[in-house]
Amino acid sequence: MTYIMSLFLFGLVLGLVAVASNPSPYFAALGLVVVAGLGCGILVGHGGHFLSLILFLIYLGGMLVVFAYSAALAAEPYPESWGSRRVMAYIFVYVVGVAMVSGLFWGGWYETSWVPVDELGELSVLRGDSGGVALMYAGGGGMLVIGAWVLLLTLFVVLELTRGLSRGALRAV
Amino acid sequence: MNPIVSCTLLITLGLGTTITFASSHWFLAWMGLEINTLAILPLMAQYHHPRATEATLKYFLTQATAASTLLFATTTNAWLNGQWDIQHMTHPLPITLFTIALALKIGLAPPTIWLPEVLQGLDLITGLIMSTWQKLAPFALLLQIYPANSTLLIMLGLTSTLIGGWGGLNQTQLRKILAYSSIAHLGWMILVLQFSPALTLLTLFMYIIMTFSTFLVFHLNNATNINTLATTWAKTPALTALTPLLLLSLGGLPPLSGFMPKWLILQELAKQDLALTATLAALTALLSLYFYLRLSYALALTMFPNNPTGTPPWRLQSPQIVYPLALSITATLTLLPLTPTITALMTP
Repeated sequence: MTYIMSLFLFGLVLGLVAVASNPSPYFAALGLVVVAGLGCGILVGHGGHFLSLILFLIYLGGMLVVFAYSAALAAEPYPESWGSRRVMAYIFVYVVGVAMVSGLFWGGWYETSWVPVDELGELSVLRGDSGGVALMYAGGGGMLVIGAWVLLLTLFVVLELTRGLSRGALRAV
Repeated sequence: MNPIVSCTLLITLGLGTTITFASSHWFLAWMGLEINTLAILPLMAQYHHPRATEATLKYFLTQATAASTLLFATTTNAWLNGQWDIQHMTHPLPITLFTIALALKIGLAPPTIWLPEVLQGLDLITGLIMSTWQKLAPFALLLQIYPANSTLLIMLGLTSTLIGGWGGLNQTQLRKILAYSSIAHLGWMILVLQFSPALTLLTLFMYIIMTFSTFLVFHLNNATNINTLATTWAKTPALTALTPLLLLSLGGLPPLSGFMPKWLILQELAKQDLALTATLAALTALLSLYFYLRLSYALALTMFPNNPTGTPPWRLQSPQIVYPLALSITATLTLLPLTPTITALMTP
């Protein structure tokens, strides 16, 4: 279990490096897919199975897919990615930065925080978020309503910002 | 813009600030700030001009960065403290992160690069909403962050007054001048935050009243640069006579009400044995005063060169509602004698 969790974490950080270093939206979206998928795996390992499922379905399977399709519509014939030297320089800088910051946390409390992961020898998890989800619908009901209103508002905001074709706010630039 | 959409966005602006005001949980406070950011974006881009779109984009990026830093500080605080309450923070790391995130949100220096450019791209009424309403929610949170990081707050305050004064000196566009004036006033507010939060609140309210008046005066005269200001004497002579007093109130001169917050802040700093800080703050306020004086000079102390046969325009009745402007100008000019009452009301 420790091996799988550390693999997921490594993949998450490398995926973030890919997102940040890619000038083309295709490969950045691919990096995001990797990050989201591995993040869901890490969530499962920490007991948040419900949250992980919802994240996978809605974020990865809904929003990210829509973003990938929109990026594909704004097609670029020769996207620049990990082959070019400039992008390699970015990747080097990000990886060195991550290595430096992780060096700060090496050993000490970080190392001992991996001990509980080893206790579950097989691929099993403790379901930790069921009570939380129930509470969110019970005591946090008002916040859910506001959250839903904000989502609707975001729709209106995006519609208002992108309406108008050539007379609109985006085309004139 | 469709009036229903416009109404929905304005009501949601109110909702966001209300949520942040009413929250004791950091997550809910963050939600209110995000709602405010989202709701003002179409209002900023409503005139579909490339400059307005650019301002909207810059605003969104900086506010999103500030909001994610705030969320990061929230989770760090939850991890270190074990609970999410705003008023029960103990660890200095999340407190510093919160202060920096909120400083980026309201436009304190040094993270203040966005404010002049964003304000320049907006029309005057949306700029007014951004300068006044959008400052209320972050200040409600800043007032509750305790124990505060003392060095950080004083450095933010002094840098803001310095950059607000210095940066505004070379400007001819009124919206940029008002942006730098905003930065300087925010610096004064942050300076006294850890010593007397009531004074911060007083400065915020006085600043809102003064800047409300200034924005509306410029909107009434449709003036966006100093050259246009020079011709307002022919359009609204009474208002042109009052506007220099308004600007000098922004600059903090007695006997106008803008003097009240600066006076009380300097007194509080002196009581806290921070004479050098108080002196630096007062000296940097002089820089702001210079560009307010320059605006007054263009408005009322000189006459724009015109040929002798030039006639002033017809003074028709303005379709704008000027009652709020009349109220706020009266407040901006005459509230100084009420200082003892206001001080008694502000401190519980």
